[in-house]
Amino acid sequence: MKTAVRFGMVVLGVLAVVGLMVPSAALAAKEIKIGVIYPLTGGAAAAGRELRAGAELAAKIANNVMTDISMDMAKNSGIKNMGGAKIKLIFKDHQGNPTIGADLAKKLILDDKVDGILGCYHSSVTKTVSAVCEQYGVPMINGTSTSPALTKRGLKWFWRTTPHDKWFTKDLFELLKGLTEGKVRGVKAVPKKEIINLASACEKTEWGSHVSDIIKSLAKEYGFKLKKSLLYASKSPDLSSEVRSLKAVRPDAMLFASYTSDAILMVKTLKAQKAAPKIIWGQDAGFEKPEFRSTLRDSIVGILTRTVFLPKVAQIKKVAGQVNTLYKKNTGNDLGGASARAFTGLQTWVHVLEKAGSTKPADIQKAANALKIPGKELVVPWAGIQFAASGDEIGQNVLGSGLIGQYQKDKDGNLVLEIIYPFDVATADMIFPFSF
Amino acid sequence: MDILISSLFAGLLIGMVLALVALGLNIIFGVMEIVNFAHGEFLMVGMYTGLFTAQATGMEPLLTLPVAAVVGFLLGIICYYGFIKFLIRGPMVAQLLGTFGLMLFLRNIALLIFGSEDRALHHGILVDKSFDMGMGVIVPATKLTAAGLSVVAFGAVWLLMNRTKIGKALTATALNAQGARYMGIPTERMNALAWGIGGGSVTIAGALIVNFWSVNPFMGLLFTMIAFAIVALGGFGSVPGAFFAGLVVGLITEIPGIWDFFTYTFNFDWMNNVPMTSLKYMWVYLAYFVIVVVRPRGLFGWKQ
Amino acid sequence: METIKNALDFSDSPRIDLTIAGLVALFLLVFPIFPHSAFAMATMIQFLMFSLYGMGWNTIGGYGGQVDLGKAQYVGIGAYTTAVMLIRWDVPFWISMPIGMCFAVIWSFIIGYPLFRLKGHYFAIATIATTLVLKDIFEVWDFVGAARGLEISPIKYIPPDFLRLIFKQDVYYYYVILGFFFLGILYVNWFRRSRLGFQLRSIKDNEDVAQSLGINVHWAKVKTYAIATAFVSLVGSFHACYIKNIEPEDTMSLDLSILIALMAMLGGAGSLWGPIIGAGILIPCKSYLKEWLGAQVGLVGIDLIIYAGIIMVISAFEPRGIWGIVEKVRRRKRS
Repeated sequence: MKTAVRFGMVVLGVLAVVGLMVPSAALAAKEIKIGVIYPLTGGAAAAGRELRAGAELAAKIANNVMTDISMDMAKNSGIKNMGGAKIKLIFKDHQGNPTIGADLAKKLILDDKVDGILGCYHSSVTKTVSAVCEQYGVPMINGTSTSPALTKRGLKWFWRTTPHDKWFTKDLFELLKGLTEGKVRGVKAVPKKEIINLASACEKTEWGSHVSDIIKSLAKEYGFKLKKSLLYASKSPDLSSEVRSLKAVRPDAMLFASYTSDAILMVKTLKAQKAAPKIIWGQDAGFEKPEFRSTLRDSIVGILTRTVFLPKVAQIKKVAGQVNTLYKKNTGNDLGGASARAFTGLQTWVHVLEKAGSTKPADIQKAANALKIPGKELVVPWAGIQFAASGDEIGQNVLGSGLIGQYQKDKDGNLVLEIIYPFDVATADMIFPFSF
Repeated sequence: MDILISSLFAGLLIGMVLALVALGLNIIFGVMEIVNFAHGEFLMVGMYTGLFTAQATGMEPLLTLPVAAVVGFLLGIICYYGFIKFLIRGPMVAQLLGTFGLMLFLRNIALLIFGSEDRALHHGILVDKSFDMGMGVIVPATKLTAAGLSVVAFGAVWLLMNRTKIGKALTATALNAQGARYMGIPTERMNALAWGIGGGSVTIAGALIVNFWSVNPFMGLLFTMIAFAIVALGGFGSVPGAFFAGLVVGLITEIPGIWDFFTYTFNFDWMNNVPMTSLKYMWVYLAYFVIVVVRPRGLFGWKQ
Repeated sequence: METIKNALDFSDSPRIDLTIAGLVALFLLVFPIFPHSAFAMATMIQFLMFSLYGMGWNTIGGYGGQVDLGKAQYVGIGAYTTAVMLIRWDVPFWISMPIGMCFAVIWSFIIGYPLFRLKGHYFAIATIATTLVLKDIFEVWDFVGAARGLEISPIKYIPPDFLRLIFKQDVYYYYVILGFFFLGILYVNWFRRSRLGFQLRSIKDNEDVAQSLGINVHWAKVKTYAIATAFVSLVGSFHACYIKNIEPEDTMSLDLSILIALMAMLGGAGSLWGPIIGAGILIPCKSYLKEWLGAQVGLVGIDLIIYAGIIMVISAFEPRGIWGIVEKVRRRKRS
């Protein structure tokens, strides 16, 4: 009897603890809270670390006066129009799970009372988080998710700075077209029939299946023949049947959308199977990760990947070089596609707040829709940031652009990504055709 | 034609590798009727062991196999005495969920220690080598070695089970634990031995396949599921059964390749649009489901 | 009428249990009035959902003793039916939910009929296999969004929409699921003393004896499986409206199947209150461990290690769950 009572008390106690968790303390003065939702643990934790470092660096630059960086936000301490209010980032971990992401967004909005949200890397998580933000009328800026569908939903509280997969894939087809027209640095015009046959393999996820669809439609538009287009189960232990299936159609170019482990296995299997396409192109993600490079080493020379930021950009662009030095001092690594875009995402937040002059959602919305950041402010090689306020892609940055890099060896024998596209900023001659 | 032959050949090859992975699960189940959800995590431990031993000492990755075997053996024994021993007293649902807990535990320990990055070997005689055997058949050296080792391991386990005293004791424990105890067989130690051998064989497999596949803390579950399918297809506890079931599962994973062959032979356009590769593993599970329903003993099972 | 009376009849429980149950019920009813964080609210909704999942699992897994590790496929069927019908044809939740239950029950008959020829581990693993097959099919099936998943548009419906179950505040969802929760308890209370319930328990004790008593063992199991399915599918439909975004990976994962079984086992399989106690402990434990320990730099995964440790300890040393401890203590008191 007594035990049962005690037991009941425990149950009640547990429930009561859950119930009485009161909301956290009231807003401190002169502080702007931005909730940042990234995959800090789970399969994409490595990317999460980069993203976090990028966003933290941007916040540091915004909150302090840094004369050695030629950016507007480095000139002031905090947000000038709001009396020097400081940016405070609250990091949350979504583990790559959309449901957890939505829960965290609710928590940030209702419990932590954030003024805005930044995130979330995985497109599937960004989808649920942006839906929550829309419901509560809290602005969200997304810097790193590239699924085109995100900005096609007509959301009023969601802005995306990064270009999406359709642009990136279009870049690839522009490159292929450029090859036939002799526009590529170091390569003579290639007859179209030599690179007309394509094959694509994308992972079977939200992101991969979108990319696959885009490749299909763009191939038709540009007059290439997509002989084979397959989706494979990600984190597969073996890809040899997929590779044989691709090989069987004798494609001139193979296009992939894969995360790290699959990208490594795919290239290894391609090599083992002695597949010999003239072009291998990866849709960022796995193809840009340090592990991809360190595992496969010299066998990736000649592989192309789309990206938004390469260390080479730091040589062309002064601002990028300055930020990169600082980033390298903090983390030991160069800025990458993920960290540079996270940096830009938070930088956009700073500009939006500066323009809005308050944290009222309506003011932020107005400021974001009228925002225009010139390209010289940014670390990424874009023409600037300006969001579409109408049309079928509301909230999408229209001034972004992508890069296509190629793994090459520099004169010291190190593997570096050289810029191949856009043609006018190419840093090296393209290696064509590719061979293992 | 090339496609068909190379698909079949690749299927058999990967089948042997998968059979090697499933061998340990089969031994454990055969002796003590417990399904180990943590099996894929054992494989992961083997892969990390092979990887780090090779990287730290700079030695040839193939030579790390004994190290991995010892680690796996110890891990199996520790798991048995520290956890499984208590678990088998309870009902079946507790056993299943308990090994699932073990799986989560090992996976997250690995995550804590090694981080979530994919890691892979950069050196060794097997890395990035393959042989062209004509007819479109290309054999990666690692898989060939793994397949060879698989045959050897199955032979050794079969001999152990059928030709030695320990093997007879293990079989007796498997058939009737209580009876075996009356006959003076230390069944407790036999169970532990089964876990040791099971763990050791799967970590060897891990140390070998890390030559080809990269490893991260999350890779275990798919291997566990495939190993389940192999063991069930072959008949729980049947050693030769597991080997043949491995080959069958290997061939099933090559269904997309065989489909391709028919696509090009008959040149049907619609066949090209069927998402066969996306459904690659579905056929494995489906075959498994059909087999257990039609013939619960599995193809070669002797235990009902 | 008789049925309702039976469902409301808790007289075989000790009074102390009923008092505690009453207090908890009262607490659940008034919980939203107290100041609470959104996180606590989300955790409570999760708790109620998983209690219902656990109750469903408990009918076949607890009372029937059939270890089913494939419940996630029915979550998926329920969730997808509701989402597809809402998005494509604007069918409200209250209509699509029963339809989803019908689909789930039909599917449960299709696979349950052959499945229940199996016993023990074979059954358990076969249920996993069916889930994986269904998940793979949903991942390529374009009609249901394939691997992209489905999203219920956040701007198309004006909350609060009681017909479609689209709300802005979680408190509405809380009361909807709380209603289902109470109904679920009443149903299980009726079920455990129904003819089928008694048949099932005799099957669990000894199948051969049950068979010789003239019970159609196979049919009884299939029927109970369908009941369990209906529970799970209902909550799946609710999940679709609550989360508003469903993907095969999310709704049909093995982890979810296992978690469902875990709730019931941890609390005590085969008892009325077991799944609720299990969910009441495991869900807050999981959420708050993650909240306090998750994403700590240098300690990635520590929360899940602790969580796994709890599962291991319970399954090794107290496999009959918390309710098992309570009963053990009571028996000792009595003797």
